[in-house]
Amino acid sequence: MELHPFFTAQRVLIVAGKGGVGKSTVAASLAQLSARSGLRTLLVTLDEPASGLEPHELLEQITVSPGRALADYLATKGLGLISRQLARSGIMELVATTAPGLDDLLVLGRIKAFEHERPADVIIVDGPAAGHALDLVRAPVQLKRAIGSGPISQQADEVLAMLRDPARCKVMLVTTAAITPVTETCEAADELMEKALIALAPVVVNKCNPDVPRVDEAILLPPIREAYQYLSLRAEAQSEAIGVLTDSLEQQQLHLTQHHSDGTALLNAIADDLEQAIRDVP
Amino acid sequence: MSSQPVIDMCMSARVIVTCGTGGVGKTSVAAALGFEIAQQGKRAIVITIDPARRLADAIGLGEGKGNEIQRVPLDTTGELWVTMLDVQETFDSLVRDTSPTPERAKEVMDNSFYRSLSRSLSGTRDYMAAERLYDLCEDERFDVIIVDTPPSRNALDFLESPERLARFLKHPIVKFLVAPSRGGFRLVNAAMQPVFKAISTVVGGDTLTGTAAFLRAFDGMEEEFSRRALVVADTLRSTSSSFVIVTAPSPDALTEAHHFVSELSRLGITLRLIVANRMPPHFGALAATEEHAMAQSGSGDLARVYELIAGLHDDADKADSDIQAFIQRTSVAFPAVSIAFATELATDIHDMDSIGALAQQLAAPPTQQ
Repeated sequence: MELHPFFTAQRVLIVAGKGGVGKSTVAASLAQLSARSGLRTLLVTLDEPASGLEPHELLEQITVSPGRALADYLATKGLGLISRQLARSGIMELVATTAPGLDDLLVLGRIKAFEHERPADVIIVDGPAAGHALDLVRAPVQLKRAIGSGPISQQADEVLAMLRDPARCKVMLVTTAAITPVTETCEAADELMEKALIALAPVVVNKCNPDVPRVDEAILLPPIREAYQYLSLRAEAQSEAIGVLTDSLEQQQLHLTQHHSDGTALLNAIADDLEQAIRDVP
Repeated sequence: MSSQPVIDMCMSARVIVTCGTGGVGKTSVAAALGFEIAQQGKRAIVITIDPARRLADAIGLGEGKGNEIQRVPLDTTGELWVTMLDVQETFDSLVRDTSPTPERAKEVMDNSFYRSLSRSLSGTRDYMAAERLYDLCEDERFDVIIVDTPPSRNALDFLESPERLARFLKHPIVKFLVAPSRGGFRLVNAAMQPVFKAISTVVGGDTLTGTAAFLRAFDGMEEEFSRRALVVADTLRSTSSSFVIVTAPSPDALTEAHHFVSELSRLGITLRLIVANRMPPHFGALAATEEHAMAQSGSGDLARVYELIAGLHDDADKADSDIQAFIQRTSVAFPAVSIAFATELATDIHDMDSIGALAQQLAAPPTQQ
């Protein structure tokens, strides 16, 4: 598959995955690759900007803070002074608690606004951890139930319309090739598609170890043999996990190799892997 | 420094708190420490939040068991127990414990604001983690309580929840909402008016009325609530509590581990132990350079195998030096910190035997890595 149709299959791509799978790195590398391929790209991160991102004329980065979403919302409604008072006292927390998911909804509202305001061809969101991604997309439904009408309810409608239109938005799940994260990814995929009615992009299998060819163990020196057995066992566990993923999810898989670098070098290495994996998709 | 830092900690601590980012094996380490305590003949309980399904199965924690406490069948003189934190259930029992009458308890629990308060994850979970810890500390069935914190950057927020709660309850708006209602919110004084208007615009007037009803029903209970939270805060800051940072040697895990080190410093809490988990294993006597040379001298599959083995060796060397650098930086803030190592297994931890193997690695006297 060519890069452009891959990236423009939807306007907003929300990247989600449990801690330790490299979700943020994958999101930043995707943004880098998208910009490199000539598309105007906006990378939206929650809480903290991506580290190691190389500047590119087509790449813009914005950071949204869920904890501040309510304060920002009040500020845009001309209630900035009050919102600062509330924030200092801890009352803001109370207000956010009276309507669980309010922060999440307001974050999604910001993303929906970017869709209209920004000239970007591609919007990539470094989403929250997998479990929290479900909270994030559940928020509009729950809030609509809790708050019948008014500005928030309208916001929820508009956000749901975006989330449920596969041409506008898809979720890209990131996992590693081990059975525990794969099982959790399958559960998250099921919930997103069946309950939240949100479409999935291809699944990223990150940090894959290389395949180990079979050789006659007898010819290996004992310490080498032990290392070989470890590598074989690890490769076996990995292909078992990928097998489970293939059996449970029909989405295409993008396999990325394990890298030991960090910062810009890591983002570039993953962007190269991603490019290869996307081109390999039929 | 003791030759067996993990065993010393397991034998002396009343509370052990493990923190670390996702994917470093934090819950497995918490379970392994519990296993080690049971091996030493004492009774341990591990409290965890939202464990991965397979690990939950491995330690006997199924779905939907809430706060239920379960014993892990082990062939040891000591005992290992496990439980999860069910925020709703903990809050309900706290309300029942602290309310003056059963009717008042019911009034609170039927309140719509209370339902959403106990369902929402963030702040409430911190209070309830502290509350649950209070309960377990009072429970004479257990010698050591191991708290497996959630894999988030804010995992240590629960340490500050008592202060936050007190600050919140003293706020004029809360005091006003708690005050006996005289004709509803029409009597709100002029200074409060815009604040109420702002809140109502966002969450709706009904929600605010519900909140006020909750706070009135809750009136008086919060003292006991705060008292317990403060007892927990004292326990956690005392010498009977040990804090453990679990990390893997990857750059992203170490960045997060640094974050926890600074959080602990900021909170004035001493770090007792670093667990360097998921370390790539070292095999045999060859040097990485020899393996690289063998890879170059051969051809085909065998050369590829040598190349992979040399690569594993390089990974292990890099992991060692990255972890050593982390330990050195950490020991500036915490000079007495101990360290324990555990290697990455070829397969995921999925049963009690692999937890036992992990415990054995952690308890082994540190060798020169």
